[in-house]
Amino acid sequence: MNAGGVFFLGLRYLARHRVKTILLVSAFVLAMGLPVSISRVVGHVEAQLRSRAEQTGLVLGAAGSALELTFNALYFTKPGIASLPYSEVEEIHDTGLGQAIPLYVRYAAGDYRIVGTNLDYLDFRKFQFAEGRSLLRLGECVIGARVARENGIQIGDSVISSPESLFDLAGVYPLKMKVVGILESTGTPDDRGIFVDLRTAWIIEGLGHGHEEASELSDDQILERKGDTVRLNASIVEYNEITEENLNSFHFHEEEGKLPLTAILVLPYDEKSQAIFKGRYANKDTRILVTPADEMEELFDTVFRVQRVVLSLLIAVGVAAAALGLIVFLLSNRLRAAEFRHLKNLGASPATMKALIGFEAGFVLLCSGLLTIAVLVLVDWIVPIVLIRLI
Amino acid sequence: MILCEDLQFRYEGDPFTLRVNRFSSEAKETLALIGPSGCGKTTFLNLLAGILQPESGKIRFMGESLSELDLPERQQFRREKIGMIPQNFELLDYLTVRENLMVPFWIGKSSREDRVEAAKRIEELAERTGISPLLEKYPTHVSQGERQRAALCRGLIRSPQWILADEPTGNLDTENQEKIVSLLLEEADRIGAGVIMITHEPTLQPRFDRVVDLLELREEVLRP
Repeated sequence: MNAGGVFFLGLRYLARHRVKTILLVSAFVLAMGLPVSISRVVGHVEAQLRSRAEQTGLVLGAAGSALELTFNALYFTKPGIASLPYSEVEEIHDTGLGQAIPLYVRYAAGDYRIVGTNLDYLDFRKFQFAEGRSLLRLGECVIGARVARENGIQIGDSVISSPESLFDLAGVYPLKMKVVGILESTGTPDDRGIFVDLRTAWIIEGLGHGHEEASELSDDQILERKGDTVRLNASIVEYNEITEENLNSFHFHEEEGKLPLTAILVLPYDEKSQAIFKGRYANKDTRILVTPADEMEELFDTVFRVQRVVLSLLIAVGVAAAALGLIVFLLSNRLRAAEFRHLKNLGASPATMKALIGFEAGFVLLCSGLLTIAVLVLVDWIVPIVLIRLI
Repeated sequence: MILCEDLQFRYEGDPFTLRVNRFSSEAKETLALIGPSGCGKTTFLNLLAGILQPESGKIRFMGESLSELDLPERQQFRREKIGMIPQNFELLDYLTVRENLMVPFWIGKSSREDRVEAAKRIEELAERTGISPLLEKYPTHVSQGERQRAALCRGLIRSPQWILADEPTGNLDTENQEKIVSLLLEEADRIGAGVIMITHEPTLQPRFDRVVDLLELREEVLRP
């Protein structure tokens, strides 16, 4: 047997019949790669979601969907969930059982969610600053690495909050926020977050505002004076940026304790504290206290059940594709019977013929295997990047 | 020389039996093998080439008993000493004409020197048979006559001692038949090879040293 000759003849056959070869390889790659790729994608999603969930002790929110609350607090999605008052943060602090970190995740700037919180959140997530500093006053923001990278934002630039509705003229005004810090990449949803002080988030909602001093306004701008209360008409200039000059004009018309939060991260000091917290909120109709890890567990139980069904179907399809590939290969060899007979007549030994057929089959399988591995490497590389965008 | 004695062969499940009591051909002899269709000419040629193994009898090829060799030995013998030229050209459609001429080297053991030598020989043969411009083309892109010339070159590429040609002119027009037979006999003479060629063309038979009709030689070939 001439190994070089077998290699040459086999390669030339496959190259000359490249369409058939590509179809065979594609069929095998699909048959092998699809089920494995799906498993790996689900694995990545699971790892990503579980890891963040396990790092976050408990999440308190208004009664509603536990999963939506978890996603709002951990992944900054589901901005429409019901709110709870800020006073509950103080209540948790007062118990002495754990730390409470408020979150108000309702608004966005373009595709990026504005996360109203306090400095405890930045410490809790162990953020490192790539550039700049932390939040010091109203109107400042710290942005995640992807926000900076994707938009070319640098320290000193501004980010403007998006209006909730283009046609809601009486609604939320855009607020221009100054970027004072850019975070190091964490590979988590924090990379896509714009972090502001809670009060800045409330100002975006219109719960707090700054405007011209009422005492300096002309009479035609004042609708009514009643004791300390002055009602102004729409000609009053409201500030859409918080600066050194107008900072002191910003104020809230509501007690801070009544201002809204979408979630509170509850970080019990120990297991006993955690149990007490769970017991305390177990019977409250208006609140839910969720353990994110448990929510993810429940979510993945459902996902895995669906995945098992999908994988079973895909494996069945894969086996059918592989069987079809085998039939195509066998039929192709049958069609080549005259060619093989002639090679034998020219003096090719049975070993040479077997090696030739084996090489062609092996080459197709090897290419399929290598391509499948390449697809899996690509999946492993690209899925975490895509996940950060999606979650 | 080739010598066959008491040769008997039968395809499994087929009542036809080929029996040859005695057949011989001298070295460098050119021989036209004739006879009506189905009389066993191709079978006989395949027996001589060692492609088929007789049920009984002996085939001696230049003193070597072909019928006593095992399959790999017969294949090696065929690769090295016999040039086969089939009726239907049997060129591989996925190889160029040049690559087709190299096939006898790819399917058996051959050294690098052999292949370098073969590459030179391809140029010479292609030049003499007029297929030089076709060497890089695929068989499907050349004419019938050109394909047969390529098949002829492939049969000659290893400079065999015998050329066994199974009606190589069967698919060609008269002009190309003449050309192919002339080329075959010239090249055989050049390398000192014997030729046994099956043909139905009476006009070609005078070109050979001897004509053997399998049916007329009743004592050599019998039907049951």
